[in-house]
Amino acid sequence: MNKIGIIIAREFNERVRKKSFIITTILMPVLMLGMMAAPTLMMLFAKGETKELLVIDQSSIIVPNLEGDDELTFAPSTLSLEQARANQDVFGVLWIGEDIVDNPSNVKLYTNSSSSMSLEENISSQMERIIERERLKRYDIDNLEQIMKDVKVSVSLTNFRNDLAEEGKDEEATSSVIAYLLGLVLGMMLYMFLLIYGSMVMTSVIEEKGSRVLDVLVSSVSPFQLMMGKILGVAAVAVTQIAIWGVLVCGIGSALLPALMPQDVMQSVEAVQAGTITSAQAGIDADMLSAISFATDTGRLVMMFVWLLLFLVGGFLFYSAMFAAVGSAVDSIQDANQLQTPITVPIILALILAMSVFNDPNSPLAFWGSIIPLTSPVVMMARIPFDIPTWQIVLSLVLLYISVVATAWVAGKIYRVGIFMHGKKPSFKELLSWIKQ
Amino acid sequence: MSILQIENVTKRYSKHTALDDVSLSVPRGSIYGLLGPNGAGKTTLIRVINRITLPDAGRVIFDGKPISDEDIYHIGYLPEERGLYKKMKVGEQALFFARLKGLSRREALTRLKEWFVRLGIESWWDKKVEDLSKGMAQKVQFITTVLHTPKLLIFDEPFSGFDPINANILKQEILRLRDEGATVIFSTHNMASVEEICDHITLINKSHNILSGSVDELRHRFGENVFEVTYGGGSSAFEAAMSPLAELMGTVEVADTPYHTSRIRLRQDASVRQSIATANDAVELRSFREVMPSMNDIFIRAVEGTL
Repeated sequence: MNKIGIIIAREFNERVRKKSFIITTILMPVLMLGMMAAPTLMMLFAKGETKELLVIDQSSIIVPNLEGDDELTFAPSTLSLEQARANQDVFGVLWIGEDIVDNPSNVKLYTNSSSSMSLEENISSQMERIIERERLKRYDIDNLEQIMKDVKVSVSLTNFRNDLAEEGKDEEATSSVIAYLLGLVLGMMLYMFLLIYGSMVMTSVIEEKGSRVLDVLVSSVSPFQLMMGKILGVAAVAVTQIAIWGVLVCGIGSALLPALMPQDVMQSVEAVQAGTITSAQAGIDADMLSAISFATDTGRLVMMFVWLLLFLVGGFLFYSAMFAAVGSAVDSIQDANQLQTPITVPIILALILAMSVFNDPNSPLAFWGSIIPLTSPVVMMARIPFDIPTWQIVLSLVLLYISVVATAWVAGKIYRVGIFMHGKKPSFKELLSWIKQ
Repeated sequence: MSILQIENVTKRYSKHTALDDVSLSVPRGSIYGLLGPNGAGKTTLIRVINRITLPDAGRVIFDGKPISDEDIYHIGYLPEERGLYKKMKVGEQALFFARLKGLSRREALTRLKEWFVRLGIESWWDKKVEDLSKGMAQKVQFITTVLHTPKLLIFDEPFSGFDPINANILKQEILRLRDEGATVIFSTHNMASVEEICDHITLINKSHNILSGSVDELRHRFGENVFEVTYGGGSSAFEAAMSPLAELMGTVEVADTPYHTSRIRLRQDASVRQSIATANDAVELRSFREVMPSMNDIFIRAVEGTL
C-alpha cells in the first residue's frame, strides 16, 4: 500500500471509529424524519381542551349553520347578553346582531380569557360563508343548493416538461413543492458538509502542527502527500456518511414506504410513475402523491445521490485544500479565524444564492452560481431537483474538478512552507509569497 | 568510507540564508555530533538530509549515490520537538509510522513486539498516548525511529526530557544500534554527551561549517600545551626549576596527601621530554599529563571566533 493510502486509512479509521461519528450518522436521518413529523406532532400536542361558546343570535340565521369541531363548539343560547357574560364556565359569548346579513360588522365576541387568531378566523370564515349564501338566496335562484355544489371547485395543476419528454409521452415535472424541499435539503446538506468537514481538516492540520507529529511525518512522506492523504481520508468519511444515509433513504423509500401506504395510494403512485395518469387525476392530494412517487422511485433517488456525492467530493476537495492551507499557516484555531474568512464567505454566499434558486431555478444568477466553482456545489445541488439540463450539471462538475487540481496545487505550496512556520500569524501577503517560493 | 556526504549545500529562505556552502562527510559506523548554537542551521541541514526540504545548491550523497526519495526508508529521524498523535493508541500509532517507513504490517508487528519487550513497555500497547508521561512517550517515539533498522539514524537532542536511568538505557540502545552497523548523527548542545559518545563532530555556526573532525583529533589540535603535574616535595622547588621552561598557571595541595598539583603551560621552545626530565630532577614526580580542552571550550572558542 502506498503512503497516501496509509495516511488515508489512518485519517478514516480514526474518525469513523469515533462515537460522535457513529451517533450523528445514525441519528441524523432519525432527526430529519423527526423534523418532518414535527408539525403533525406539534398540532397534536398544541390542541387544547374543547372550547364552548354561547351564541346569542338575534337574526336566527347564523346559529343553525355554525359547525363546531374538536376545538370549538357552539351552544345556541336564549339568555340575555348580561346573563351570558356572567357565565364564567364557558369560553365566551358570541353576540350576533339582527341585521347581520346587511351589516356584517354587527357581531361581537366576549371571551373570558384570551382568544386566538385561529379561533377568530374560524368564526369569521364560517359566518362569511353563511352570510354569502343568505345574500344569494335573495335572488330566488332555483336549486341553489345544487348549483352551489356544482360550482365548488379546487384546481390541481399538473406541470409537464416539454424539454424532458420522450417522443409521444408526457413527462410529468417534479412538483415545485417537492423540488423546493429537496433543493433546500440538498443545498443545506452540501453547505453544512463543506463547512463542518472543511474545518475538520483545518483543525486536524493545526493539531498535527501543534503536537509536532508533523516533523516525524514529513521525514517519511512529502508534505503534499500528507495534505492530500488527510483531505482524501476526511472525504472518505464524508462519503461514507452520505452513502449510509443514501442507503437508508432509498431503503425506506423503496421497501418501507410501499408497505406502509394504503393499497390504492400505491396503485395511483405506480400509475403516475408509469405515466398512464397524472398526479392530479389520481384523486389524491397532488403534492403528496408526487412526494411518494419520488420517494419510491429508486432510480431517481440513486441518481440524486450520485450527483450529491460527486458535488460533495468535488466541493469538499476544493474547499478543504484551502482549509488545510490556512491550518498549516497558523498555530492555533483562534489565529485561523481571520485567515479562513475568504474561504467561509463564498460558502455562505453560495447558500444565499441557493435560496434565490427557489424563486427561479433558471435565472442567470442561479445559472452562473451553479457553474462557477466557488459556489457551484451548493447552488447546483439546490437546482438539480428542478430537472435542469444534464449538460449544465456536467459542465459544472468538470469546472469544479479542474479547479480542485488548481486549489490543491496552490494549497500544497502554502502548506509545504506553513507547517514549518511557528510564531507570528502570517499575513495574506506572506501567504502569496509562499506560493511563489 | 562515508555513508553520507554533504557537498556544498546552500539553502536560502526569503529573508535569510540557512546553510551557506556547507560540506561534511559522515564516516560509516560512526557516531557523529552535529553541533552549533541555536539558529545556526542544524535543523535545516537535518531537513535537507531527510529530504523534507531540498537544497538550492549542492548535493547530498547517501551510501555512494545522490540521495533519492527511496533512501528515506533507510533513515530514521527523531526530531527535537517530539510528537505523537495524542488520541491514538500506542500500538496502532507505532504500526502507522512503521508502515510509512515501508515495513509490511506483519514485519512491523513482529519487530514492534520485540522492541516493546526489550524496553519493558508491552503493557502500553493499548494505552492512548495522552495517558503516557513525557518520558514514556519518548520511548515509544524512539522505537518508531529505529524500528525499520535504518542505516542512518538522526537524533535531535535525544536525551532531553529523560531521567538519568532512561537516558542511560537509551544511550546503550544507541550504542548497540551502532555496533549492529548503523551510523548515528547527533544534533545537540550537550557537550558532555558529545565527549562521551561522539567520535566525529561538525560545528555549524551562522550557516557555515566552521569546524569538522574526529573528537580526539580536535581536542588534540586545540590543546594549548597545558599540562597537569602532581609531585611530592616542595612546590617552591618545582616552580623554581620549571620557570625557564613553562609558565605556571597555579598550584593546589592534594588533600590528605603530601603532594601538590600544578598546572603549567609549556613555552613554545620547550619540549615535553625536557620538561619531564627537569621536573623529575627537582621533585618526586607522581604524574605528568596533558590537559585536553573540553568540547565545551572548543565549542565556545570556535563560535566566538577566538580559535
